[in-house]
Amino acid sequence: MSTITIKQVTKAFGDVVVLKEFNEVFQDKEFITLLGPSGCGKTTMLRMIAGFEKPTSGEISIDGRVVSSEKTFVPPEKRDIGMVFQSYAVWPHMTVFDNVAYPLKIKKLDKATIKQKVDWILEAVHLSQYAQRIPSQLSGGQQQRVALGRALVAEPKLLLLDEPLSNLDAKLRESMRFEIKEIQKNFGISVVYVTHDQSEAMAMSDRVIVINRGVIQQIGTPIEIYRNPANQFVADFLGKINFIKGEVKNGRIELTGLGQSLPYDGPRTGKVVVAVRPENIDLSLDSGDLEGRISSMFYMGDVNDCRVDINGVQVRVIADSHSYDKLYGNEKIYLRVQEFLVYEDDGSDEHTKIVT
Amino acid sequence: MAAVTAVKSPDTGPAVKEKRFYLDIKWVVILAIVAFLLIFEVLPMLYLVVRAFTADGGVSIHAFQRVYTYPMNWTALRNTVVTATCSMFLGVLIAFPLAWLVGRTNLYGKKFFRTLFVTTYMVPPYVGAMAWLRLLNPSVGTLNVFLKDLLHLAENPFNIYSVGGLVWVLTSFYYPYAFITISRAMEKMDPSLEEASKISGASPLKTLWTITLPMMAPSIVAAALLVFVSAGSCYGIPSIIGAPGQVHTVTTRIIDFVSIGNQEGLTDATTLAVFLMVIANVVLYVSNFVVGKKQYITVSGKSTRPNIVDLGRWRIAVTLLVVIFALIVVIIPFFSVAATSFTKNLGKPLLSFADGKLVTDNFVLRFWERVVTRESILNSALHSLVYAALSATIGIIISCVMAYLLQRTRVKFKSVPDFLITLGSGTPSVVIALGLIMTMSGRFGINIYNTMWIMIVAYLIKYLLMGMRTVVSAMSQIHPSLEEASLISGASWLRSFKDVTIPLIAPSVVAGWFLIFMPCFYELTMSTLLYSTYTKTLGIELFTYQTFHSQQTAAALATAILLLVIAANWLLNKLTKGEFSI
Repeated sequence: MSTITIKQVTKAFGDVVVLKEFNEVFQDKEFITLLGPSGCGKTTMLRMIAGFEKPTSGEISIDGRVVSSEKTFVPPEKRDIGMVFQSYAVWPHMTVFDNVAYPLKIKKLDKATIKQKVDWILEAVHLSQYAQRIPSQLSGGQQQRVALGRALVAEPKLLLLDEPLSNLDAKLRESMRFEIKEIQKNFGISVVYVTHDQSEAMAMSDRVIVINRGVIQQIGTPIEIYRNPANQFVADFLGKINFIKGEVKNGRIELTGLGQSLPYDGPRTGKVVVAVRPENIDLSLDSGDLEGRISSMFYMGDVNDCRVDINGVQVRVIADSHSYDKLYGNEKIYLRVQEFLVYEDDGSDEHTKIVT
Repeated sequence: MAAVTAVKSPDTGPAVKEKRFYLDIKWVVILAIVAFLLIFEVLPMLYLVVRAFTADGGVSIHAFQRVYTYPMNWTALRNTVVTATCSMFLGVLIAFPLAWLVGRTNLYGKKFFRTLFVTTYMVPPYVGAMAWLRLLNPSVGTLNVFLKDLLHLAENPFNIYSVGGLVWVLTSFYYPYAFITISRAMEKMDPSLEEASKISGASPLKTLWTITLPMMAPSIVAAALLVFVSAGSCYGIPSIIGAPGQVHTVTTRIIDFVSIGNQEGLTDATTLAVFLMVIANVVLYVSNFVVGKKQYITVSGKSTRPNIVDLGRWRIAVTLLVVIFALIVVIIPFFSVAATSFTKNLGKPLLSFADGKLVTDNFVLRFWERVVTRESILNSALHSLVYAALSATIGIIISCVMAYLLQRTRVKFKSVPDFLITLGSGTPSVVIALGLIMTMSGRFGINIYNTMWIMIVAYLIKYLLMGMRTVVSAMSQIHPSLEEASLISGASWLRSFKDVTIPLIAPSVVAGWFLIFMPCFYELTMSTLLYSTYTKTLGIELFTYQTFHSQQTAAALATAILLLVIAANWLLNKLTKGEFSI
C-alpha cells in the first residue's frame, strides 16, 4: 500500500512563494490529479513528493515513513517511486530494452529476471517489437511509453506523472488517458498526476486537487468539482461558464443589466454572481426563464455553440447540434436554465483571472 | 519566392525575369565567397601538397625522405605528438570535473569561476609562456625559488625548458577550449534525464557514471580533439618555452626552415607543414563528421533548471581546491606578467622588506613609458588595430551572409563555403601562412606578399568560423516568417536582410565581430611568417622584445593586451546587454 501524507508543506524559491500551506492525505491506490494553470505550483508539489525539491517547511511521508521534514530528507533514489517526465527523459544512448531495464540493474537483479520483467513490461506498454531500437528511432508516443515502462518496471507502489501527455497529438493523448488509467488499475498502484488539462483530470482521477497561485482551491471527485465548484476560479477553470451579476430580492435573483430574473431559494442574500454552464441551458421557441435573441451560432458537429444577446449581455449556450437546422439566427428565443450556481459578489473579477 | 511573384505581377513576363534576378544575387554572393576561399585557402593548401611531392621536378616522396632523415625533425615530430597528446588528456581531465563542478553542483562562486576560466580562452597563449618562464625558470624562477626555500630542497624543483614544461603550459592554456565545449554540452542536456536515473534508484555518482558521462561522451571526444589540434599547431608557446631548452616542435621547425630563406628551406618547411595539415584535417574530419553525428540532441521539457548536486560537507574543501587551481593556473601567471613589467632587475624581487621598510628600488615605470612612447611599438599597435578591425568587419559581413544562406535558403552547394570555412579554421596557422607565402607572391598572378592584405586574408581564413558560428546560431533562433513578412511587403532580399534580420541578430553580430577581432589583434604565428618592415604587428613586437631585448617591455605589452581583453569583454557585455561575453 502507499499513502502519502502531506502536512503543512510550503515552498518558496528565494522570496517567491510558489506553494502556500498544503495539507492532504493521498490514499492507497488512489488516482490523484494536481490540476491548475501553469505556474500554479502543481509541478513543484510533485517534485517535492519525488524528492527533487525540498519543502521550505512542513513534512511529507510516504507509507508512514517521513521522507521530507525539518530533520530528515530521503533523496529521490531511495524513495522507490516511478516517475514519467514531461520531456519523457528517455536516455538517447541506450536501447529501449536498456532504458527499461535500468531500474532493475540498479537493484542488481540477475540477468534472467531482468529479461523476464522487461519483456513483461514492454508487453504491457505495447513496445515488445521495439526492444532493440534506440529512442531516436521512435515516435513521441512510443518514447512516452518507454518512459512509462521504465517507471513501472520496478513495480513501485507510487507513480508520479508530470504532464506526460502534453507533448502528444490530440488523438494519441486521448487514447493514452485510458491506457494509463487501465495500467493503474491493473497494477493496483497509487498515482499522482500533474496536468493543466481539465479533461485529462476529469477522465482519469479519483480525486482532483485544483490549485491556483500556490493555494489549493478545491479537493474533490471530478463530479464534485464540476457540479459544485467551491469558487468562481474552479467554476471557470473546469469547463465553460457564464458569469452574470445579480441581486437576491424576494426569492428571486434580479440579473443586473438584463432586466430579468431567475427563481432562487438558496441562502445567499444581497449582491451575488450567478454562474451557469452553457450546456445547462436549453433553448426554446415558446417559453423559458429568460428571453433573448440569438446573436451567433457555430456548428461544431457534436453541438451547436450559440451566443444569446439578452439586453446587450452575451450569454453562451451549448445546444443540441440539431437545433442548428431549426434556427436561423437573430430570432427571439427563450432560455430554460436547468442548473445554476450562486456565488457572493465581492466586487472583484480576481477569482476568474488565470495567472500564468 | 513564389509569393513575391504572385503578388507583384499580373503579367507573367517581368515576373519571371524578376525571379531570376532575385536568385542571381544569392548566386553572386555565394560564388564570391567560394571564390575567395578557393583562391586563398584551397589553392595554397593544395599547392603545399603538390610541392611537397614534386620538390625536384617529378612526382616523388624525395622531399619527405630527406626531411625525415634529420634526427632533429624526428624529435620535433615526436615532441609535437607527445605534448599534444599529453595536453589533450590533462586538459580533459581538468576540464570535465571543472565543468561539472561549475555547472552542476553548489560550488561557492560558480559564476565567478566560470567567467574566469572562459576568459582565459581569449588570452594569447604566449602570455602564459612568458609567465611560466618567469615562474619556473630553472635557475631564477620565482615559484621555483619559493618552493625550494619552502621545502628546503637542494635545487630548484622544476625546469620549464623541457617537454614536461611545454605540456604544462600548453595544458594550462588550452584546457579552456575543452571547458567551454563540455560546459556548453552540459548546459544543453535535459536535466530530467538525470532525474529519471535518480528516481530509478541510482545514486548521484552512479547517475554521473551511467547517464551523464555516456551522454557527454561525443562532446568530450570533440573537446579532446580540439585541444589536441590546438596544442599541436601552437607556435607561441613552444617558441618561447621550447627554444631555450632545445625542445623543438613541428611548428618551430617550420618557421626555422622558412627563415633560412632558400628554396631547400621552403621545401623542408612545406613537407613538415603537409604532415601537420594532414593530422589536423583528419582530426577535424573525425570530430565533425564522425563524432558530431553521434551528438545526442535532447529536447528539453519545461524543467530546465539543472538539478544541482549538493556537495555537502565537501563543499568547502572542493571550493578550496578550485580556488587553488585558479590561483596557480590563472591568477599567479597573470600577476607575475604584470609584476615583471614593473621590475627593473629581474634577478631581484619586485618589492622587498629591509629593516622593516618597504624597498621600492626595483619598481620602475620605465617599461610602461617605453610602451606608450616608442614609435615602433605605437606603429605596430596601430597596425594590429587596423588589420584586426578590417578582418573583423569583412569577416562579420561574410558571416551574416553565410548565416542567411545556411539558415534561410535552399541554395544548392550552400554547404560548400561552410565546409571550407570550417576547414580553414581547423588548419594550423603555420600551414595557412606558409601556403599564402608560397602562392600569393606572384606565382599565380596575385601578389599581396609584404602587404597588409596577406595578413588580413590569413586572419580571415583562420578566425572567420568564430564569427560565423555565433551569427548562424542566432539566426537559427529567428523564425523565417519575420523575413517572409518583409518580402511580402515588397522589400527585396537585401532590403529585408538589412531592415529585419540584421537588427534582430545585432547582439550576436557584435559578439561575432569581437570574436574575430580579438585573436587577430594579438595574433603571432601567422604574422611571424607574413609581416614585413612596414606591416609589423603587436604580436611580432612583443615576441621580439621577449626573445631579444627586454622581457619587461614584453611583459608591459602583454599586460596591456590582457587589460584590453578584459575591457573588450566588459564592453561586449554592455553592448549586448549581458547576452554575450567572451
